[in-house]
Amino acid sequence: MVEKILFIIFAVMTVAGGVGTITRRNVIHALLLLVFTFLNVAAIFFLTQAYFLAVIQILVYAGAILVLFVFVIMFLNLRTFQEQEQTHRGQRWVALVLSVLVLAEFIIVLAGITFVSAKGGFTPEAITAAGGSTRVFSNALFNQTLLPFEVASVILLVAMVGAIILVKKEKAANVATREWEPDAESPAEAAEEEV
Amino acid sequence: MAPTPADMPIPVDWYLYLSAALFMTGVVGVLTRRNLFIILFSIELMMNAVNLNLVGFSRFHENLTGQNFVLFTMVVAAAEAAVGLAIATALFRNRQTLMVDLFDRMKG
Repeated sequence: MVEKILFIIFAVMTVAGGVGTITRRNVIHALLLLVFTFLNVAAIFFLTQAYFLAVIQILVYAGAILVLFVFVIMFLNLRTFQEQEQTHRGQRWVALVLSVLVLAEFIIVLAGITFVSAKGGFTPEAITAAGGSTRVFSNALFNQTLLPFEVASVILLVAMVGAIILVKKEKAANVATREWEPDAESPAEAAEEEV
Repeated sequence: MAPTPADMPIPVDWYLYLSAALFMTGVVGVLTRRNLFIILFSIELMMNAVNLNLVGFSRFHENLTGQNFVLFTMVVAAAEAAVGLAIATALFRNRQTLMVDLFDRMKG
């Protein structure tokens, strides 16, 4: 019973954080609400007794990805976008109505389904007896999914190389073919950036 | 409501409802917002909704494959955030804007 009440509280805060993320004008506020959502999802992972994943969720999402986003947002000057229109003029209401309809479909379909547990045997008691959540998790990871785990490291390497190449300053030969220089701003914009 | 195992305190349906709500929130964000950063945040929201589903069913079926899969989803999310932010930086450097409907130079 306590778990159900806690789940409802965390679920409401998760959805509220998500709705706040997509409605904020200020990108930093949206990002902080996104991290709030991530932390609530981590709390739900704790309630589900997925302890390792909950800690990884906090470390990776609320830690690493947050720092990455904050760094880039501070690096770019985004303050000027707050006065502009935030949503697509032609499709915002259509998109909203269609999304609510799809959500209603999800709920109707889910209300008519009864799930039957496959009883795989990894109950919390069995996991505790086998040496704890992290040990059982890593046993399954390195026995059943070792090859995908190695491929994941290659994906991370490719992402790192791609990110470095994308943000690298272009060489002088490429810059000459551009129509205009990014540094050659109008004086008004330059003065605005210094403020 | 679905019958739950005696030792699962939260019905698995609840995870699905929460996951659907969070996922559609992300879809609304992607479809309506113009700011590239908010669109990236919305994609992260959708990935978290998927993770919730996987963890809930992993607990329901008493099988750890779902939890292992969440780890790979997180890897893909981290890679996507890194590459997406790099693309955003390059776009901002070239165009001085981040509103996605203004990136229409290749439009026919």
